[in-house]
Amino acid sequence: MPIIEVNNLTKTYTTYKRGSGAKDSVKSFFRRERVVVNAVDNISFTVEEGSICGILGPNGAGKSTTIKMLCGALFPTSGGITALHMRPYADRKRYVGEIGAVFGQRSQLIWDIPPIDSFNMNRAIYGISQADYKSRLDELAELFELTEIMHKPTRVLSLGERMKCEFIMAMLHKPKIVFLDEPTIGLDVIAKAKIREFIQKMNAQGTTFILTTHDLEDVKQLAGHVIIINHGVKVFDDTLQKLQLNLGEKKIIELTLEREMDFDASALGARLAGRKSPLELTLEVDMSQTVISDFIEQLSKKTGFSDISVKELPMEEIITRIYSETVS
Amino acid sequence: MKKLLAIYKTCVKTALNRAAAYRLNFILSFLITLGSNILFPLVTILIYNSGASFPEWDFYEVLLIQAVFTLSHGLAGIVFNEVLWKTMLHIREGSFEIVLLKPLTPLFFLISTSFEPEFAGLLIGGGVMFGIAAAHTGIASALAIGQFLLLFAAGFAVMAGINMMMAATSFKWVGNSRIPEIFESVKNFGKYPAAVFPQIIRGLAAFIIPVSMIGFFPAGALLGRLDLTAFIAILPCFLFMLIGIWLYNHMIRLYEGVGG
Repeated sequence: MPIIEVNNLTKTYTTYKRGSGAKDSVKSFFRRERVVVNAVDNISFTVEEGSICGILGPNGAGKSTTIKMLCGALFPTSGGITALHMRPYADRKRYVGEIGAVFGQRSQLIWDIPPIDSFNMNRAIYGISQADYKSRLDELAELFELTEIMHKPTRVLSLGERMKCEFIMAMLHKPKIVFLDEPTIGLDVIAKAKIREFIQKMNAQGTTFILTTHDLEDVKQLAGHVIIINHGVKVFDDTLQKLQLNLGEKKIIELTLEREMDFDASALGARLAGRKSPLELTLEVDMSQTVISDFIEQLSKKTGFSDISVKELPMEEIITRIYSETVS
Repeated sequence: MKKLLAIYKTCVKTALNRAAAYRLNFILSFLITLGSNILFPLVTILIYNSGASFPEWDFYEVLLIQAVFTLSHGLAGIVFNEVLWKTMLHIREGSFEIVLLKPLTPLFFLISTSFEPEFAGLLIGGGVMFGIAAAHTGIASALAIGQFLLLFAAGFAVMAGINMMMAATSFKWVGNSRIPEIFESVKNFGKYPAAVFPQIIRGLAAFIIPVSMIGFFPAGALLGRLDLTAFIAILPCFLFMLIGIWLYNHMIRLYEGVGG
């Protein structure tokens, strides 16, 4: 059952073009050229209750604007959003009591004092009873191993520790939907793993997550549903499996030849995707045309090789191609 | 209402914790505001010592107006002065969504989290001046105290209204940090007996931008020197606050955030 329904959502900004240099600066002081930017352009999608939905897109694609509208923080120019049977921008006060949000680049913690004081402030704001607050905080702090850290001033915490505290801040009131805008930005691998583990555990308890990220590992490990936005337009909306098959069922073969030779990949029904050195080749094989055992057998007949590895088409490659296809 | 009071109480405690985190800065700010406000009536002392005066107003009566003005300023500083600067900063940095994520009206959240104990220096300075001035002038009657409290509340409403109006303009004109300076200058008309200004200024300061209510009118009530104008001026004061609240809530629609 969809927990969020987005219909023809559009957000337009008006900005001014200012040029550079003294002449343009003086000119813009008297007359500025208006530029209308379609940050989000007629997007529609649904998010299922209890799912994790990843929103991907290059910088400036409109991901953050979309997530801010979904949070009720921005008014759409046109189109509609229904989430938890409410319109986020119109029923904001009631709606935000049911959601949580973590913005990787905006902190909800108070910088000068320990996170525990910020948590306590949220307890009052969300009207959480002392008993519920204590048990929930203990549970979340234990999951993140943060019991000691939350009593230190926020400013002395590492980025990873702060981000874990941001998650606690967002989860204290048991939100039904949590919006994450680049939650793992700038974190080391251990902190990222801990946060992903936390999201999976909370999702298993029924919380729906919507995250924007540039880290494809976040998507691979967490999201069952992927939406790709580029230049404000939705260019992909399906499961992670479908995304991986988006460019066809392809595999990457890394091959080390025994001796230097001219290699005709097309004769084997493959594409030469790269050549690191005269002996090291990367081939892209379309698995809808062949099976891997047949391909290796054919390859063995054509040439000798000292090493071979078979991999999935990297997610980066799939996403990059989708981005560039939508640009062209 | 009970829930809102509980939130406000928690936020005030948090503000005090924040102030306590940098004790030296807090003590210095406190002393600076206290010192600068004790020095502020020096100009009035110099005027009266040089033989000049505000016509029909003696030194302690003028000091009482300035004390009430300072008290009003101090109280506004503690309760909502930071709303303007916080709004401006949030809009410029694109972090206003943090405010909008709370299940409260944004203005209430900002007021609750803007409690600024450093302005206590101003309040204490005003209180000392008030005590000295009132000891010399005396207070007209018990009724005068009631009138004073009503007019003081109206003055507080003017300050709140103007603060919110200025903050509201930030949603349209980002980084308009000079607008508050204009109001600071206009506000000074409430610091002196209205009789020293031309008739048009008196009218403007009573009904259009009712800054006379910040100092002159409430002090006049204590001295028993009020006419009907002061009581008629109460209405625009509360209108000012209501317009300020409405404008702020209306302008939030224009918030656009910044690039990710």
